[in-house]
Amino acid sequence: MEKIAYFDACVETPEEIILAANMIPIRLLGDPAIGLDKVNEHVPPTHCVWARNILEQAIIGLDTDIKGVITTHGCDCTNREFDIWLECVDYLKFIFFLNAPLKRDVSALNFFIEDLKELILQLEEKFMVKITTEKLQKAIKKMNQIRSLLREISEYRSKMILAGSEFHALVKQVQQTNKDKILKILQDKLAELKTMEPKIKQAKKILLTGSVIDDTEFIIFLETIGFQVITDDLCLGTKYFWGNVDETEEPIKAIAEYHLNKPIYSTKFPSYERFEILKNLAKRYNIDGIINVAQKFCEPILYDHPYFSKKFKELEIPYLFIEMEYNKESYKQLATRFEAFAEII
Amino acid sequence: MSNVKKTGKMLKATNKLRNEMGRHFLAIEQAYREGKPTAWATAGTPVELLYSMGVQPMLPENSATVSAALKKSQNFIELAEDQGYSYDLCSYFKTNVGAVLSNAEMSEGGTRKPTFMLSSDVICDTHVNWFQVQSERMGGVPHFTIDIPHVVSNTTNRQKNYFKKYVKEQLWELIDFITEKTGIEYNKERAQNVAQNSYNMGKIWQKVFELRKNIPCPVSTRDTFGGLFPLFTMTGLKSPIKLYNRMYKEAKERVNMGIGALEKEEFRLAFLGIPFWYNLRFFANLERWNAIICYETYVYAFSKYTNPAITREMVVKKPVESMAELILSFWYIYDLQTRFNELKKIVKDWNLDGILMHSNLSCRPNACNMYDLKRKLMDEADIPSLVITSDMNDPRKMNETQVLNQIESFIEILRKSKRR
Repeated sequence: MEKIAYFDACVETPEEIILAANMIPIRLLGDPAIGLDKVNEHVPPTHCVWARNILEQAIIGLDTDIKGVITTHGCDCTNREFDIWLECVDYLKFIFFLNAPLKRDVSALNFFIEDLKELILQLEEKFMVKITTEKLQKAIKKMNQIRSLLREISEYRSKMILAGSEFHALVKQVQQTNKDKILKILQDKLAELKTMEPKIKQAKKILLTGSVIDDTEFIIFLETIGFQVITDDLCLGTKYFWGNVDETEEPIKAIAEYHLNKPIYSTKFPSYERFEILKNLAKRYNIDGIINVAQKFCEPILYDHPYFSKKFKELEIPYLFIEMEYNKESYKQLATRFEAFAEII
Repeated sequence: MSNVKKTGKMLKATNKLRNEMGRHFLAIEQAYREGKPTAWATAGTPVELLYSMGVQPMLPENSATVSAALKKSQNFIELAEDQGYSYDLCSYFKTNVGAVLSNAEMSEGGTRKPTFMLSSDVICDTHVNWFQVQSERMGGVPHFTIDIPHVVSNTTNRQKNYFKKYVKEQLWELIDFITEKTGIEYNKERAQNVAQNSYNMGKIWQKVFELRKNIPCPVSTRDTFGGLFPLFTMTGLKSPIKLYNRMYKEAKERVNMGIGALEKEEFRLAFLGIPFWYNLRFFANLERWNAIICYETYVYAFSKYTNPAITREMVVKKPVESMAELILSFWYIYDLQTRFNELKKIVKDWNLDGILMHSNLSCRPNACNMYDLKRKLMDEADIPSLVITSDMNDPRKMNETQVLNQIESFIEILRKSKRR
């Protein structure tokens, strides 16, 4: 089966539409092990390290099964890089910019519906397929099943049965694998977890937030320090499976509503609402501390950080902010700061 | 090297800018004294709607440039960094945070707490984040933001139609928001007057630019960078039109007499990006190579009425609707291909030899596809272009010697290319 990849700093790309077009949605993620070379000819080194990393991979060449890419409106860097993709990633059959709106009101919803319809139209024209209401409903059902399973599995992190890193790897797998295959994997995983006893001892319970954190080795690194990520508000975490799409609603409207009703991203307005989400998660899971990670030059996170720092201080919730390069070496360099945080919480 | 003597002739009219700035600051003072509503607005938002509803606009970006020109921006930026705002964030934003924090006077870049704030992401996300930050820091100032869809090189006309609809809807929502916050109702007649003034101001500014097509170029970059303050802050008022008319008349006289802003003009350049406000004298360095900047995309962009499809009649008849169209035909929304096409035309029409591009460390959205733009200009249109890296408001990020060396080499390339 052909694949449509999506480049999305949040997770607002409607995978259901890609599934309804009989293709596999694949999320593009960074690879901190690669060196950056080609991208330096296109984007200054002072721009988002994650977006640069993905562009580097695309210039070198994506998986040949990937026939198209959807870039979904995120931050200034991901948005503005789209034209560079058009210039230098010319082997793709299909490339579309999806304007997921900045705001969360009725006008924004109607606008998003229009843009989703445009995406459907262009997919149909390019791939000679028909994306019917029935196909969309079927895809919504499938994605809802996946979301529900992930939500249930996610809880085993706070039960100290499932390591945060294992769950992170699983979400990554869901975003990058054929959805039919993944359903079985998730069902088996849940069945297995139900039989298990808590195994993670004496770990500090962490709420992880920040930029796109897609390197599972980073979560493993946190575990070596003595942390367990028991919850998060990441796009490779709860934001991917927060609630379900309404199956009784007209499908396109339901998809649009689902994405605009999810907890807000740092790239959208008003991003300060994230504080309430984090506060509620912190309370619900009785966490020991919050770690907020900004990938280097990730402006949305950098703007929000001082506000969060102030607010969590008021609530006396330990909060650690880290700016991080997108490579494994930087983890070691930051070890002292994480260790010090582990000491104080 | 920064102590280069200014030799290029400035227009006498440009000196009157101080009066316009004074008028603007006075209007703000008066609004506070009389209890009139005030609003912070980011560049690219429809300031005209504020004026037409009796709201006094203040543009913290322009205030930040004032701080930089007075060599105060670094201090303000460092104050903001002490508050936790990263070294890598926008220097306009940090200048404003520092200026407000230290209760700076308006004359040094301070900006008072407004009735409400108006931002949009037409230029950058920073504008939206900036006002979110400051709204909270000032105790919860109401904040309206306009979401402008991102236009890319393969956006279709079909898409542009519903983009316009979305922007238009938001402008009407903005009007409702202003009414809710101030109690002032929208008055179409007043909006039409403001729209007419705004149109006239944009057009006279464009006429000044038209004169710069002449060889020698009658107007220097010090006039245009120096004279743009009203384009941001006073669009919709009558008084700056007079100033720009004076500039035009004086420039026209120079053209008639064959006088240029530079005594000996050898190289004609365009400048892409925001200048270094803390070091405008830097541009005088170009004179040592007999080079002059005849076109600045940043300055021209704010003449606003650059889309020939939007006529005076449309602007006056339907101020809100035409504003939605204008926002979507603004330089800062242009995709890479459109920027390339526009620059090719500009280079031809203004008889330019090359383009200087400022990869601004504070403005990632604009620096983002600059390398590709440069390559396209050079490879596909044979237009020499140079990218220099610096910052608009943070003097710590400018390496003047390095930049000058780059420009010197670039001028040598231009010289050789002229001899060919």
